[in-house]
Amino acid sequence: MVAWAKQGHEAAFRELVRRYERPVFSLLYRMVRDRALAEDLAQETFIKVLNGIKSYKPEFKFSSWIFKIANNAAIDHIRRRSIDTLSLDGAPDAQTPEAMKATAIQLDAKGETPLQEVENRELGSAIERAIGRLRPEYRACILLRHVEGYSYEEIAATLDLPLGTVKTYIHRARNELRGYLEDRRAETRGRDGP
Amino acid sequence: MHLTPDEIELWAEGLLGAARTMHLTECSLCLAEAEQERKVLLELVALPRFAPSARFADHVMAQVKIRAPSGEF
Repeated sequence: MVAWAKQGHEAAFRELVRRYERPVFSLLYRMVRDRALAEDLAQETFIKVLNGIKSYKPEFKFSSWIFKIANNAAIDHIRRRSIDTLSLDGAPDAQTPEAMKATAIQLDAKGETPLQEVENRELGSAIERAIGRLRPEYRACILLRHVEGYSYEEIAATLDLPLGTVKTYIHRARNELRGYLEDRRAETRGRDGP
Repeated sequence: MHLTPDEIELWAEGLLGAARTMHLTECSLCLAEAEQERKVLLELVALPRFAPSARFADHVMAQVKIRAPSGEF
């Protein structure tokens, strides 16, 4: 399909979009947690991929190439946003709870639009909210590992990270997810009583 | 010796060897951690894929420069 697209066949371009739109959009949506923005970033990703298809090297997995571009788009956006609002969970290099709190995002209280209602429904489960609380670097790794089924080596190649860093991020992410979910279960038990 | 995070992941995916799996029968600490890990993994792999809007492909294609096989746009 990629070879066909490289030759300039529009049907091949459309087929590549059809095959990868859901995984790419899902990754971006869970990274930025905003439907409209995720769609813009997904469009930006596919336009880059398809306009640059001649530069694609077949020794690299095609899906990895798309995810790399998508992840870069998400991380660039989150960094740009962080200039104004800072990271949701604090700066990645924050070492202490105080430092994380000091660098955490400031959320505005807003009324809920229909699109936000959809987002709340789609990303409102305990596991989705727990993923949303992870640092973006952890989030990308854990989604590629457990939603897309990538190996640690493939994630390292896709995200340009050392293998050891990928393992560390994924282990920390899973520990944090376990912690959030346990806290949530404890809260539910507490509300429901003995 | 307690299971490492890698071993716990392997166990949760059903891929840990029998010898190391035996440890879970005698270590409640590792068993509790492994069970929690499995719950998280099951939730992660069950996550749905979301679809973008219906016109997504059209919006993308409108902005892609396709060089036809003849070499023309």
